[in-house]
Amino acid sequence: MTNGWVDIKNADVILAMGGNPAENHPCGFKWAIEAKKTRNAKLVVVDPRFTRTAAVADVYAQLRPGSDIAFLNGIIRYAIETKRFHEDYVKLFTNAPYIINEKFAFDDGLFSGWDDTSKSYDKSAWAYQPNPTTNSYDVDPTLQHPRCVFQLLKKHVDRYTPEMVERITGTPKETFLNVAKVVTSTGNAERVGTITYALGWTQHSVGVQMIRAAATLQLLLGNVGRPGGGVNALRGHSNIQGCTDMGGTFEILSGYLATPRSELPDLDTYLQKVTPTTLNSQAWASMNYWQNYPKLMVSLLKSIYGKAATKENDFGYSWLPKTDGNYSWMYLFDEMYRGSSNRAGGVEPGPEGLVTAGMNPASIGPNAPKMVAALSKLKWLVVVENYEIETATFWKAPAEYGGAPVAEIQTEVFQLPASGFAEKDGSFTNSARWVQWKWKAVDAPGQSKTDQEIIARIFLAVRDLYQKEGGALPEAVLNVAWNYTNPASPDLGEVLREINGKALEDLFEPPKDPKDLKEPKKLIKAAGQQLDSFGQLRADGSTSCGNWLYTGCYTEAGNNTQRRNNADPSGLGMFHQWTFSWPANRRVMYNRASADAAGKAWDPTRPGIQWNGEKWGGPDVPDIAPDSPPGKFGAFIMLPEGSGRLFAPVLADGPFAEHYESVEAAIQNPLHPKVTSNPASRRFSTKFDKYGTAAEYPIVCTTYRLTEMYHYWTKNTGRLNQLQPGFFIELPEQLAKENGIANGEQVRVISARGEVQGVAMVTKRLGPMVVDGKPLWHIGFPIHWGYTGEEGHLGPLANMLTPSAMDANTWTPEFKTFLVRLEKGRPLKST
Amino acid sequence: MPIQGLEVLQSSASLRGQNTGLRVLAKVSKYIDTSTCIGCKACEVACQEWNDLPVVPTQQVGTYQTLPTLQADFWNLIRFNEQEFEGGLAWLMRKDQCMHCADPGCLAACPAPGAIVQYANGIVDVNAENCIGCGLCETGCPFDVPRFSAKTGKMSKCTLCVDRVDSGLEPACIKACPTGCLHFGTKEDMVELGHARVKQLQANGFANAMLYDPPGVGGTGVVTVLAHGDKPELYGLPKDPRVPLSVTFSKRILKPLGIFAIGATLVGLFTHYVRTGPKKPHDDNPPRTGG
Amino acid sequence: MAHVVSPPNVGHADAAIAVARSLEDVEVGDRIVRHTLATRLMHWLVGTSFILSFLTGMPIWTPIFGWMAALFGGLQVCRWLHPFLGVLFSVGLLWMAASWWSQMVMSGRDMEWLSPAYFAKYLRFESTDPETGKYNGGQKALFWIALLGGVALFLSGLVLWFPGVFPQALREVSWILHDVAFIAFFLLIIGHVYLAIADPGTFESMVDGTVSKPWARLHHPRWYRDVTGEQRK
Repeated sequence: MTNGWVDIKNADVILAMGGNPAENHPCGFKWAIEAKKTRNAKLVVVDPRFTRTAAVADVYAQLRPGSDIAFLNGIIRYAIETKRFHEDYVKLFTNAPYIINEKFAFDDGLFSGWDDTSKSYDKSAWAYQPNPTTNSYDVDPTLQHPRCVFQLLKKHVDRYTPEMVERITGTPKETFLNVAKVVTSTGNAERVGTITYALGWTQHSVGVQMIRAAATLQLLLGNVGRPGGGVNALRGHSNIQGCTDMGGTFEILSGYLATPRSELPDLDTYLQKVTPTTLNSQAWASMNYWQNYPKLMVSLLKSIYGKAATKENDFGYSWLPKTDGNYSWMYLFDEMYRGSSNRAGGVEPGPEGLVTAGMNPASIGPNAPKMVAALSKLKWLVVVENYEIETATFWKAPAEYGGAPVAEIQTEVFQLPASGFAEKDGSFTNSARWVQWKWKAVDAPGQSKTDQEIIARIFLAVRDLYQKEGGALPEAVLNVAWNYTNPASPDLGEVLREINGKALEDLFEPPKDPKDLKEPKKLIKAAGQQLDSFGQLRADGSTSCGNWLYTGCYTEAGNNTQRRNNADPSGLGMFHQWTFSWPANRRVMYNRASADAAGKAWDPTRPGIQWNGEKWGGPDVPDIAPDSPPGKFGAFIMLPEGSGRLFAPVLADGPFAEHYESVEAAIQNPLHPKVTSNPASRRFSTKFDKYGTAAEYPIVCTTYRLTEMYHYWTKNTGRLNQLQPGFFIELPEQLAKENGIANGEQVRVISARGEVQGVAMVTKRLGPMVVDGKPLWHIGFPIHWGYTGEEGHLGPLANMLTPSAMDANTWTPEFKTFLVRLEKGRPLKST
Repeated sequence: MPIQGLEVLQSSASLRGQNTGLRVLAKVSKYIDTSTCIGCKACEVACQEWNDLPVVPTQQVGTYQTLPTLQADFWNLIRFNEQEFEGGLAWLMRKDQCMHCADPGCLAACPAPGAIVQYANGIVDVNAENCIGCGLCETGCPFDVPRFSAKTGKMSKCTLCVDRVDSGLEPACIKACPTGCLHFGTKEDMVELGHARVKQLQANGFANAMLYDPPGVGGTGVVTVLAHGDKPELYGLPKDPRVPLSVTFSKRILKPLGIFAIGATLVGLFTHYVRTGPKKPHDDNPPRTGG
Repeated sequence: MAHVVSPPNVGHADAAIAVARSLEDVEVGDRIVRHTLATRLMHWLVGTSFILSFLTGMPIWTPIFGWMAALFGGLQVCRWLHPFLGVLFSVGLLWMAASWWSQMVMSGRDMEWLSPAYFAKYLRFESTDPETGKYNGGQKALFWIALLGGVALFLSGLVLWFPGVFPQALREVSWILHDVAFIAFFLLIIGHVYLAIADPGTFESMVDGTVSKPWARLHHPRWYRDVTGEQRK
């Protein structure tokens, strides 16, 4: 989230799209309700299903799964056409005035720079136009230049007329226009709107571009950086934000620092590659905060390797593992199944072992039969979990998963009982970036151990082996700093202290005049003291920090994530004394954009930060150098140009969001039939990777979660099984009627990968839609069931049907749109 | 168990036991705003947890609703209803539970002394010790709430967490509600909150929005905001609930009438006996018939 | 038809009583056998089950009679016992119906007996229809009302027995029906008992099964004539 949960109460309009917050984030959703009640805010829900969120919405629009970009681009077009956007904001804070070089074009579904052989774009074709005389980017502050971002955007979205939106999304024109009108009512200084989304956007082959479209719209409406605004990702697990913050995916280390790649052999080349530089003077100056990359990276290396990391050995950079390809989920399992990998151009064996902790690959991966087949290729598998999950029992998966006979599976499975969230202390980082400490409530049962103890014991045993027997690259293991009071089970408070970072030497303020040796040195931090902010980090090895974003969470004042003071002087729900929010305890990111050119709040009733003539003041923690006067720096300090990007020349599949059909396309793309689906999205080619066509599978299907259940866990919990006792398939009334299926009867859904059977829930909440002039049905079912769990509550894995398709940028599977057909269910086996 | 600290206002089938009025307690009420309820069922679980109710067997039959109706071990149920209106679809959700009527039909119907009590704060509770499991409260309830438990042979229903309320806590369902569509407080405050929300709904196009606090049962200890207030039955609520005529008739008319009739007959026959004496045969003088 | 039975040699003090075990409507000495043992057992089954149902039902009906519950160990026991006693009562009534159905067919004359004018005279002891047979119009009416009331009590009681099974409307109707049927029934039973007490010699007919001839002549003249063969005077 750019903003936070509580901040939603400051919104005038809440667009919930690509997410079902009432269902999946009921606690945070209270703030949308609060806005409705106290501000009379309008909750606009755009969703293929009439969801629990829609049930309390003021405006609801049904759209076809996967057609969100067309809908959003339609709103962008509407905003520009009707001038319902925040022009001052756009000119001041976005890259709308920037002129793009002449190579940029968009033609028949492809942006310029497309290379059909590598199926990827050369992004240099989308670059800003530099001006050699001024040594900066060319801009047109009037937004009239035909190649300025604003005009290009206007041209790009011009095709998304309300008629075209209706044709693609199936949303009736009047409904769409009503949504557009309500949403764009915030395109001014007086009103603010927020957009909340979740996996309903990310889990598409154009997932990142859906979010881009939302970001573009919010920048256009001037809603980013302002209390009550923002582009707000609602994270799907209690600590998934913490997981990503700490390097949860293969391409990032903690604090979103890039994972070193094998072509960057030493620290200098790495830092040169990753630290952004821009032309000398830009159209708008930027703090370009990532210029501090060396400080962040060196402090991280110091926290990993401790005293062993020295300037001479590149602070241990060479001991870090380097990537040589794509280690994301679907690639990993594809290689596991095929038993070979083509990384870095060569051929090497696929993974032979897998440690999975707090994850359930057999259930959560798309195309479940492929997951099961891949797991059976492993030599060994370690499952760290608090239940016996599908992954641990993949070898006895029911026949319909198509697994090999048990006798042929040679995988040795180790199941390590772990403890649940209430059985250990530690912190959760929520969607609002609040790092909140929680305390252990009960002892873990039996022999189960905490995650940190399991990891520590494995690490210590491996280190022991290395010490005794040696092995490949021993430094990477032997040099790891492991200075915990109890090495076998580190206290998580100690770990959090380590993440926060500390001074390894006395830190002094830089002298005002380096030549004046008599100037008294001002001590910032004495050696050993906890740091207060990432501004204190150094690139010379005098600081260590496990995650620069978290600096400030555990200072000399103590564990700030345990703070529970609910004072809120501004009344805006910022709660700066409640726990710690990264970065720097800031509650609204990019909050410089909450104030106008002179530094005055756009809306005095909802100020973010304001310039008082000398410095930036509250209520929030400024997201800009506190003493930099308005006009000195752009508001978007993490971007080298300092401006919010309506045009993002960095993504794999284009600088503007463009509507593409899902990989399994229900229709030909009405905008450009030759390029129907996202050209930059990859497919796989094993025998499991089958893709259906609309002719054979005419119904669009989507998957989702239920508020009563938590992922694949709670099918072990009697109380919750009681609330949602089993797998079901939601069908529109007319479709059920056409197929002779009554509510409560068994129904089968079949995709190119497999089939599932469950109870039909015949509902008015899924409607018939007319898409591209033809009627189209869509159905859906929740995930949550599988072949392990409480007796009487087993069911098919939803991912039996989902395709091996993915987003072009994040490689997130396309769980949300695929094609199926429907049949009556087979009679249940009597037991 | 009756709550020791709470004064009883009314007690079922009791000739005495009226409130002494020594301690004046504010009437309490739940507040349910169906227009902001998302049907998450947190209240269902909280109710079961707090009241130590067992897991009840359920089955997916094609609805989001946990059970078709309340059960002896399930006192709090969200009712779901998909309803088409002119303006579009509505998915109505209402938390169903004991309404804690000011004139409780269950209490009126109950024949067991002290089995149903109404505390001075308005909470209507079943006291299992005294309950005889006859089920008449079920008949007396216009909201179809009390349930007979075959396991205990007693009736059971929502207690409005009287044990929590007496300790200054809100009921478990209210505590668990994530969206704030549930509130708890004095009846007066809840009604005020409800009217404010109804006004807002009316201004937002729900002309028929209303606060459901039916006068037929003297008002309820659960006030409910309904966006479609003209059709409470869409939410599973009776339009104009009253204590059933049968209960009133039986208790207010039949019972006194019956007792009177029995008494009168006894007195009449006694008088008859005293006046007419036994009808003895006179052997010597066989009676003549026909006058 | 006259039935005169010689006293059998059964070693019983009272020959009539011995006869009354198996035969009725016969003359034994100066007694007439009115009810066989079976009939009397049937009657007392109905009677005791009614009284017990009454005692267990009254405290449920109103707390004024709450003290009755103490006789059984409390209201909970009453609630448990009452339906079973009701079933017993119904079984008794069924037996009664089977035994008496044919004897209780109402004639036109019986209907006259029920007319208020006649009934008032009856209460004043002013009249006994010389054509009154073994059962007078009032007794027959009581039989039919008892049967009807019994059916009503049984059916409504069944509904009330099992909470949560029957629909609300049925439960409400049953409740009222049970109340009304009981009150009506009880009033009649009070009258029935009163007459048994107020008419000396009646009670014995249900104890040893016999009545005196004068009693029979007084209350059931035609029956008396039928049994003894005496002619109407």
